[in-house]
Amino acid sequence: MAVGSASAPAPPAAAGPPAPSAPPGPADRARRRAANRWVLAAALLLVLGAGFAAARILDTPAWLGAFPAATGEWLTARLDSAYAWIVANRNTSPLFLYGFNYVSVGLGSAVVLVNQALTLLTWPGVVVLGVFAAWRAAGWRVALLVLAAFASFALTGLWNEAMTTLALIITSVLIALAVGVPLGVLAGLRPAVDRALRPVLDFLQIMPAFAYLMPMLLLFGIGNPAAAVATVLYAVPPAVRITALAVRGVDPGAVEAGTSLGSTPWQLLTRVRLPMAWRTIMLGVNQTIMLAVSMVVIASVIGAGGLGDAIYQALSKVNVGQATEAGAAIVLMAIALDRVTGAAGEGGRTPAVPARWRTPVLAGGLAAGAAAVAAGHLAGVRGWPPDWSVSVAQPLNSVQAAAQSALGGATGALGDLLLRGVLNPLSALLTGIPWWLVVLVAAGFGFVFAGARAALTGGLAVLATGLLGVWDNAMDTLSQVLVAAAVTVALGVALGVLAARRDLLAALLRPVLDTMQTLPPFVYLIPAVALFGVGRVPALAAAVVFALPPVVRLVNDGIRGVDPGAVEAAVAQGSTPRQLLTKVQLPLARPALLLAVNQGIMMVLAMVVMGALVGAGSLGYDVVFGLKQNQLGLGLTSGVAIVCLGLLLDRVTQGQRTAHA
Amino acid sequence: MPDTPAARTPRSLPALPLRVLAVLLAAALLSSCAVRTTSMLRDPNTVRIALNGWVGYEASAAVLAYLLEHELDYQTQLVRIDEQPAWQAMDQGAVDVIVENWGHDDLMELYGPGGNGTVVDGGPTGNKGTLGWYVPRYLVEEYPGIDTVEGVREHAEIFATAETGDKGQFLAGDPGFVTQDQGMINHFGLDLEIVYAGSEAAQITEVRERYADREPVLFYFYEPQWLFEELDLVHVEFPPYREGCDSDLADVACDYPAYDLNKIFRAGFAEDGGPAYELLDNWRWTNADQNAVARMIADEGMDPDDAAQRWVRANPDTWRPWLPEGERG
Repeated sequence: MAVGSASAPAPPAAAGPPAPSAPPGPADRARRRAANRWVLAAALLLVLGAGFAAARILDTPAWLGAFPAATGEWLTARLDSAYAWIVANRNTSPLFLYGFNYVSVGLGSAVVLVNQALTLLTWPGVVVLGVFAAWRAAGWRVALLVLAAFASFALTGLWNEAMTTLALIITSVLIALAVGVPLGVLAGLRPAVDRALRPVLDFLQIMPAFAYLMPMLLLFGIGNPAAAVATVLYAVPPAVRITALAVRGVDPGAVEAGTSLGSTPWQLLTRVRLPMAWRTIMLGVNQTIMLAVSMVVIASVIGAGGLGDAIYQALSKVNVGQATEAGAAIVLMAIALDRVTGAAGEGGRTPAVPARWRTPVLAGGLAAGAAAVAAGHLAGVRGWPPDWSVSVAQPLNSVQAAAQSALGGATGALGDLLLRGVLNPLSALLTGIPWWLVVLVAAGFGFVFAGARAALTGGLAVLATGLLGVWDNAMDTLSQVLVAAAVTVALGVALGVLAARRDLLAALLRPVLDTMQTLPPFVYLIPAVALFGVGRVPALAAAVVFALPPVVRLVNDGIRGVDPGAVEAAVAQGSTPRQLLTKVQLPLARPALLLAVNQGIMMVLAMVVMGALVGAGSLGYDVVFGLKQNQLGLGLTSGVAIVCLGLLLDRVTQGQRTAHA
Repeated sequence: MPDTPAARTPRSLPALPLRVLAVLLAAALLSSCAVRTTSMLRDPNTVRIALNGWVGYEASAAVLAYLLEHELDYQTQLVRIDEQPAWQAMDQGAVDVIVENWGHDDLMELYGPGGNGTVVDGGPTGNKGTLGWYVPRYLVEEYPGIDTVEGVREHAEIFATAETGDKGQFLAGDPGFVTQDQGMINHFGLDLEIVYAGSEAAQITEVRERYADREPVLFYFYEPQWLFEELDLVHVEFPPYREGCDSDLADVACDYPAYDLNKIFRAGFAEDGGPAYELLDNWRWTNADQNAVARMIADEGMDPDDAAQRWVRANPDTWRPWLPEGERG
């Protein structure tokens, strides 16, 4: 089992010769299979190189050259004319008057209503009720956290923005659950529904949010309606998936018992299945909220306002400190919501209130809330008084400036090296190879790593980017994604291994990773530019920062999860720590490592559009350009092309995981 | 994920949130039997101002919002949105006014009186806008004449970066802005490659970094802009704009046109009239006025509302004539 940790397109050297001392038997066969796999992958890379050389030598004749543009042009023209039609008919066509506009007006009004309710409660009321609810659901630790979150909104002067954001989150999450949980139950009970839903959910999860903001604002209207629909679409997949998983996982014995007691299917669902699946469903709720939080920032691009708006406002003045403040408010909101729903799911830390005290406690909490609301109104409170704010933007900006001048030279040189040595050649290689060869090799990689189905999906996905008319951009984006993924995986595995061996490091890393994962990427785009200059390198840096946390976490968990017996045995036989790691821990943690690679790649892909905001160009830029310049055809085809790249990379990396897990 | 088996007391389902949702939706639908996008719940006393993403625009919007709130007792809502989507927002009835419009004749054709009839031209704001190519002053001193077409052509290679290889780099900014750079590069045969910074923040950061190191940089920019207070920048001279010289965006034989910036109103907002409309209609000020507010926002890091307040307190003679007849007191 001498397969190194799989880095995206691993060089053939990673296969390594089998160690002579390895045990014989099935493990030996598996190793040989794995070694063969890497030999085949290397052969495919050679084919790519040969194709590139051939195209160069023959001076790119037509049959070796660019992807034919006809389909892409046709598609773009169709989409653009659909756009024009909608603009011309939005307030006359029955499709809108009796269809989309209902959704639009309903949603927009719902968000406004929730926001007005929060305003009506005044800040003292919101704080008292919020903290009380958090305490009742999750105990005093979480209540303190919620209090800290409220304090951070207030003290940074972002109270109103935070409430606008909260209103959008509440509305979107409620709708996502109202749609997602029933669908999940259905998918859990009926495998056919599950099969039908799965590709839709895949699509929603890989499609960059920027790309569907455009159709959303076209169909549902700018501002809250489009923002709410986009947020719902983005946040609904985990609600469906996890509910389905939970319903499917209910102990069949309990269901049988219910059936034998003569329960109707409805009773079976509401009395047995759902209550038993409740805690897992809450995990889905939790994930839905987290995704909604990250989406509302992006939704500010289309006029949704709130904390995301505060970030943009700071960025338009290149004020990193101010952007970080707003970003920190979002992080705290996310953490508070996460802990409250997490605790509500587990139920472990709920304070033990005796039954006869429950009503009085509830009444007391509500009364305190009502008193706070009344006091707020009497005092004429409209929002948090601006004079009571403190700002840490100035010191943050100084820190950033200092870091910049200390690191600037070294990072600039590193960036140039990366660009000239890796990114440029790889991009030239991928765009210079005949397109049909790339399609075949992509299918080949799919076959080698994950079997025939992945080969078909991968090949078709790459072909589709060409049919969408964005072949060159797709290849350039692919080159960037591959490099960023390789860096992410290398760093992530190293950090994860270190964290698994040192508890102190793991404890120190945890809050850092939490923050990295919830901090809106907009915040660190500007420092990335300051360090690496505009272009593909800062985009790569930002993608690595964003994608690193799950990789580190999965590797750390995977290694810590290795059977202690195996570790002990190896230590007893006199393994050095290095042998222990390479011969026992890494091979046994293989499924977790592969999942980490897969997740790392998918997260990097999610940053393609963000990267365009700092000069990465290609597909991401066209998505942003399409949104900002009302070019539906360009924006949507580029967005779908990103989904295609996602399908390819996911299938190639995930297939191997399922085959071995 | 909790790992104890799910055998503890079953919990009741979250009926309450669902019920609240149902009530909210019902209320929203009841209040809007008509289903045009304009029917969304909103306060009729609120003026919704589109807020495009540059500081000069923000300065205008902040001052107008301040006057609407403090002199005329309106509520205002600043809807942050890009230039082109802002027109669409007006078409959908989601905003009432754009307070700084740069050209966009095509959109006026589409949404204006000749098209959908949902927007109207609100006349000039008094601000003059300049778009174009810029280089730092120190570069002109080092390479005299580099602020002309010939100079750029001659010295294109000094702008080369790792991103562009042998070609010079032309740094473009926000994808939402009006551009004709590629057409100018094509027409004048310049050995330049456009690198899209992708956002104005990234572009300004890059320009600042190069400026600090006295390195060459050539980029798309515009005036009025607060960065001119901080950096000494020179406009690169191209043959001046003539009507129609930018009709083919792949081959543009001239500089960008000079813009008389104007306001755009939602047609319904203009028809309904009222003090808010009158104020916005009367409003006209100079680049110096706008820059004074923009500088407070961008350089001094003031809250736009505070900056507006300070300007309003200091310049009553400028803004009092904007108020409707009866309110001038």
